[in-house]
Amino acid sequence: MMRAAQATALRQGISPWMFLLPALLFFVGYQVYPIVRVVWISFTDYQFLTNAPANWVGLDNYANALRDPLMWRSLWRACLFTLMFLPGTIILPLLLAILVDRVTAPRLATFYRVVLLIPAVIPSTLVFVLWKWMYNFQVGPINHVLVDVLGIFTVYNAPQWLGGTALTLPSIAIMEVWWGLGYHTIFFLAGLAAIPKDLPEAARLDGANEWQIFWNVTLPALQPIMMILIVLRFGSAMAVIDEYLIFGGFNRDSPTYTWTMFMYDQAFKLGTWRQGFAAAIGMIGAAAMMVVVAGLLYIFRRKG
Amino acid sequence: MARAATVQEINKAPPLPLGEWMVRNRPVLIRHAVIWVFIAVILLPLVWVLLMSVKSLPDAMQGALWPARFDFTHYSYVFQKIDTLPVNLFNSIYVTTGTVLLTTACAVLAGFALVHLRPWGGAFIVAMLLASLYFPIRVVSLISVYEIQSFLGLINSTSGLILPYVTLNLAISILIMRSVFQLVPHELIEAAKIDGCGPWRTLWLIGIPMARNGLVVVFIVNFVTAWGEFLLCTTLTNDQTARTMPVVLAAAQGGLGQWAWPRLAAVYVIVVTPGILAFTFAQRLFFKGLAEGVLKG
Repeated sequence: MMRAAQATALRQGISPWMFLLPALLFFVGYQVYPIVRVVWISFTDYQFLTNAPANWVGLDNYANALRDPLMWRSLWRACLFTLMFLPGTIILPLLLAILVDRVTAPRLATFYRVVLLIPAVIPSTLVFVLWKWMYNFQVGPINHVLVDVLGIFTVYNAPQWLGGTALTLPSIAIMEVWWGLGYHTIFFLAGLAAIPKDLPEAARLDGANEWQIFWNVTLPALQPIMMILIVLRFGSAMAVIDEYLIFGGFNRDSPTYTWTMFMYDQAFKLGTWRQGFAAAIGMIGAAAMMVVVAGLLYIFRRKG
Repeated sequence: MARAATVQEINKAPPLPLGEWMVRNRPVLIRHAVIWVFIAVILLPLVWVLLMSVKSLPDAMQGALWPARFDFTHYSYVFQKIDTLPVNLFNSIYVTTGTVLLTTACAVLAGFALVHLRPWGGAFIVAMLLASLYFPIRVVSLISVYEIQSFLGLINSTSGLILPYVTLNLAISILIMRSVFQLVPHELIEAAKIDGCGPWRTLWLIGIPMARNGLVVVFIVNFVTAWGEFLLCTTLTNDQTARTMPVVLAAAQGGLGQWAWPRLAAVYVIVVTPGILAFTFAQRLFFKGLAEGVLKG
C-alpha cells in the first residue's frame, strides 16, 4: 500500500515534466542554447570555413562593429523602415475595425472578417512573391496602371520599385501593411467588442459627437491592444530579413542592407564566414531593439 | 411589443424612391463603400495572379487584367515540364505536416501541464516563453542553428528543417494552448483525478475535446509559418531538390519557357490555395479559438 502511494506521488511529481519535456527540448535546444552560443561566439574570432580554433577576443568584435559606419547606417535603415511601416499598420486597421464593427448584418460581418483575414493565412514567402510580381517592372499591374492606363510615366521612366532603389523600403512597407491589415483589424475588433455598448450610447445622450466618443471612449479602451501591437510590430519590423533577401540583395548601398543583412552577409556570404564578427553585429542590433522595447513597455505601463 | 410594431410599420411602409433611400442611409453607404475599397485592395493582387495563371502567353506580356484569350493548360504544363516541381511540392507537404504535428503535440502537452499539472517553476517557464516573443531570436540565433544542423549532418536535408521549424511558433502555440486550457475548470480535472484518471487520460478525455477551437488556431498558425518559411530553408539547404516550393518560387525569375509568367502564376495558385481553402472552411472554429486563446492573453 505504502509503496503504491509513494509510486503515485512520484508519478504525479514527474508527470508534469513528462508533459513539458518535448516542448522544453525544442525550446532550449533551438532557442535558448543558440542565443547563449551566439553570445559566446560574439566574443571570439570564430570563422566557420577555417579549421583554426576560435580564440577569445573579448569585446574586439563589438568595438570593430561599433567603429564601422556600416553598422550605424544599417541600424538606421532598419529604423527608417520601422518608421515607414508602423504608423500605417496601426492606424489603417484601427479605422477599418471601427467601420466593420458597426456592420450589424451577421452574414456580411462574417464575410468581411473572412476576407480581411485572407492575407494573414497566406504564408510569408508567398506574400513576398506575390508583391514581387505586383511591383514587377515589365508585367506588374502597378506599373501597368501608371504607364498604360494613367499615362503618368512612360516605359523609360517608370518607377523601379524593388531591387535596392530608394523606393524599395516604402514598397516593402506597403506590402507589410497589406499583409497585416486584416489580422490587426481582427485584433481591434475584439477590443471594440469588449466595450460595453451603453458606454458610447450614454456619451451620445450627453451630447458628445462621434469624434469625442472616439477620443474619450473608444481609443482608451483599445489602448492595451494597441500597445501590444506596437511593441510586437516594432520587433518584427526592426528584425526583417526575408524580404530584404528576396527584394534587395547584398548590395551594401541598398537601403535594404540593414543590420540583419549585414549580419547575414558576414556570417554566410563573405570570405571565411566571420561568424564571431557577425554574432557581434546581431547582438548589437538585438540590444538596440531591446532598449527601445523596454522603453516602450515602460511608457505604456505608466499610462495603462 | 413596441419594437415589433415599428418593424411591421417599416415593412408596411411604401418603398422609398432610390434617391431618398440613399440620402437617408448615406453614413451606412459610405461605411460599406470604404470597407469595400479595403476589400478590393486585399483581393485585387490575388485576382491578378489567378487571372495571370489562365492567360495565354502573348496576353501575359500585355498587362491588361482581363486576358483576350484564356489558356488553361499551364497547370498541367508545370507538372509535366518542371522536373523539380513535384519534389518541391512534396517537400513542402512533408515539412509542413511534420512541423504542424510536432508543434501541436508539444504545445498541447506543455499548455495542459502549465495550467492543470502545476509544475514547480511553471511561472518561470511562462515568463521565458513570453520574453522570447520580444527578442529577435529567429535572426540572431541563425549562426548557431546552422552550426547545430551542420553538427547533426542536417545541412541540405529536408527532414532536418522540421527541427528548427518547430520552434518558430512554439512559444506562441504553448501560450495559446495555455489560455485555452485555462477555460477548462480545474475542478473538472480534479474530479477526473479522484475518479482514477491519470494525467494522460484526463488530457485525452477532457482537455482535448474542450480545446478544439484553440487547436484549430495552432494548426493554422503553424501551417502558415512552415509552408512559407524562407530564411531557414534558404540558409540550411542549397539544393533545389531539398527546398520547399515557395522558396523555389521566390528564386524563380519570370521570363520565357518553363518559367513564363502564366506558368509561374499557376504554380503560385497551386501553392497558395490549400491554406486559403482550409482557413475558409475552418473560419468559424478559427475565430472562436482566436477569441479564447490569443486575444484574451
